[in-house]
Amino acid sequence: MAAILSVEGVSKRFATSEGPVHAIDNVSFAVRSGEFVSVIGPSGCGKSTLFNIIGGLIDGHEGRVAVNGEEVKGPHRAVGMVFQEESAFPWRTTLENVAFPLEIAGMGKAERLARARDLVKLVGLEGFENRYPSEMSGGMRQRSSLARTLAFSPQVLLMDEPFAALDEQTRLLLGDKILQIQQQLKQTTLLITHNIAEAVQLSDRVLVMTYRPGRIKRVIEIDLPRPRSSAVLGSDAFGHYVATVWKDLREEASLGLSESEAALGHRH
Amino acid sequence: MAATDGASPNFAQRAAPILAGVLTLAALALLWQAVCQLGYINKFVAPAPLDIARSFPSLFIDENLAGRFLQTFGETFLSAGLAVAVGIPLGWFLHHKKLAGLAFESWVGGLAAAPLVLAYPLFLVLFGRNTATIVAMSFLSGLPAMVLKTKEGLDGTKRVLVNVGLSFGLKPATLFRKILLPAAMPSIANGVRLALILALINVVGVEFLINLGGLGELIDGLAQRWELAGMFGAILFVILTSVAFFWTTARVEKWFRPHG
Amino acid sequence: MVERSLSRPRPRRRLIGPVTALRVLAALSLWALWEGAARSGWFYEGALPSSFAVLAAGFNLLAQPDFYANLAVTLFEVAAAVAIGSGCGIAVGLALGAFRFAGRAFEPYVQYLAPAPKIIFLPVFMVLLGVDSSSKIAIGALSCFFPMALSVAAGVRQIDPVLLRVGRSFRLTASQTVAKIYLPALASPIATGLRLGLGVAIIGTLLSELQMSKNGLGFLIMQDYGRFDIAEMYAVLGLVFLLAALANGLIARGFRIKGR
Repeated sequence: MAAILSVEGVSKRFATSEGPVHAIDNVSFAVRSGEFVSVIGPSGCGKSTLFNIIGGLIDGHEGRVAVNGEEVKGPHRAVGMVFQEESAFPWRTTLENVAFPLEIAGMGKAERLARARDLVKLVGLEGFENRYPSEMSGGMRQRSSLARTLAFSPQVLLMDEPFAALDEQTRLLLGDKILQIQQQLKQTTLLITHNIAEAVQLSDRVLVMTYRPGRIKRVIEIDLPRPRSSAVLGSDAFGHYVATVWKDLREEASLGLSESEAALGHRH
Repeated sequence: MAATDGASPNFAQRAAPILAGVLTLAALALLWQAVCQLGYINKFVAPAPLDIARSFPSLFIDENLAGRFLQTFGETFLSAGLAVAVGIPLGWFLHHKKLAGLAFESWVGGLAAAPLVLAYPLFLVLFGRNTATIVAMSFLSGLPAMVLKTKEGLDGTKRVLVNVGLSFGLKPATLFRKILLPAAMPSIANGVRLALILALINVVGVEFLINLGGLGELIDGLAQRWELAGMFGAILFVILTSVAFFWTTARVEKWFRPHG
Repeated sequence: MVERSLSRPRPRRRLIGPVTALRVLAALSLWALWEGAARSGWFYEGALPSSFAVLAAGFNLLAQPDFYANLAVTLFEVAAAVAIGSGCGIAVGLALGAFRFAGRAFEPYVQYLAPAPKIIFLPVFMVLLGVDSSSKIAIGALSCFFPMALSVAAGVRQIDPVLLRVGRSFRLTASQTVAKIYLPALASPIATGLRLGLGVAIIGTLLSELQMSKNGLGFLIMQDYGRFDIAEMYAVLGLVFLLAALANGLIARGFRIKGR
């Protein structure tokens, strides 16, 4: 299977008022067609920077990001982004939100609304087509943002902690939904997260990042059978994988914690 | 003094204070009427409520109240329309060119706070004693609010919404049309309402000051002829119509809110 | 359109240079425009004098003793208007905010009357108080009352009820509660009310002077208008605007020092 997304030796440095910050260092990996890959790391490891670079929203980095062999030099049609913050347009109904990418691509009204309806059904928001974001819960809003991104039929779905603001139970249920969708569409997906259970539940592979400067510390193959659901959470294998990920992550997370505590201490 | 049991106030609880207010007003009016009829107040100082009420037919017929109303509100919409037409592009400019925004936002704020109406003799000299003076002053009174609200709305668009647009590869013009402008609409609608309200206040005031047509001149004219009952009647009419105006514009503005 | 690196904040110092430069450039351009228009002959002879003429008239004015007499009259009137208007405004605002029923019953009427230009009540006050400073102060005070009352009422309602419960648990008397809990919590709304109230008090007082007075800065403006001494009129107006801005700035600074 060919790699749809390839990240080769990507590094990024920022100049801040406190001096240069080396956010990520020499990150390389590839995502194959239909694969679900998670990138997990402690806060401050540069995950969001990586997300923005792959999505083409930041430039000035070293290394190369390519989709289907073509280098990413800016927002790329083949890469669909789902952001962490609430991003549904408040002035559009669910249906209009989901139809947005089709609208700007010039699709006719009847056609795009029909396609939007299919996607709304896919993410489980049937019945809420004419509701406004303010009339829906956070989980529903993120689902409509997901449907909107999928409307573009991106080759690579790129998500940055889209469920961070939701409670655990909603997350697990949405995780089930994501698994269904991914199975149905065979969607190539890269998920940035800090939630270990989520990463293991959804992915074929988990990449653990180090604390700043972010590097790939370890690649863990998740060999749980597909199709999966949140029922897998009860299995022994699941627990084993979570423990494996945590072993690597814990070291990095505590590095991050002690550094931020030291920084607070210095300010007194 | 919050509702102790957390239940929302029922109709009686909500209506009672409003009723109390109205009844108090009515009681005061009755008292005033009685005092006048008993001869304690000179009608050349404070006319009785009934006389004020009785002046209305004359106001409509002899003083052309309806026509003046149309003139005042016509001038209001003209001035506010100009403020909107000039203010929205200016507000966009201050948003788009960050340096200009940083440099001049406080100047616009200063203009908003400046007592422009005091310069009416100046405007008389520059524009003459005609509608142009009224429109020019009212236009300037509403302009800063429109500019600032437009800039505020465009500036305040959540970064993530812009990023969504960028991630879909939108060009700057499309990004503005499909994302920035709708996101800024509530603020812009608020600015339009403010321009309308400030224009109305200014128009009535300047009409009174320079004695030129519309409701403001009516008040001044009646005062000069010492027809106090009619003058209070006209003042009452102005207050009632302006309240209706504020209420109507508020409803229209709400329509532009992002649905919640 | 790709965004540059997200977190590359520029050191603050660099931004002050371009902003000031742009402001200076804009000010100079506006001044050049004025001079150009003044000398162009587009405007009626003398309606738009050169800025030098205005400055000369201004200096001339500052050399005359009766200017200071008029200035003193205006300053006194505005100060008195603000004192009376704010005092009543704070008292009424406290009552409307603290007593929910009274607030719901009567505050709407305060809100309806607030936007009306108070100058239209001048004839009434002239009869009641005579054609001198009292009427002017009355209009100014009436103008100042409304923004203060509304600001304080809203501020009282926003006081954290927990603080009031703490006061009750210490068994404070009514006047102690007002002094030790309400007033400190109301510092910000009072400051806002003061700035708005000062603005409208200046407008009300000066408009009264323009309409009917024999002294004060407004009277000077009208005198210049009558004599067509436009340059001096611009100068006096400029001074009035300057004083208004100064007073506004002083209040802002005063409350910033008092605040945390």
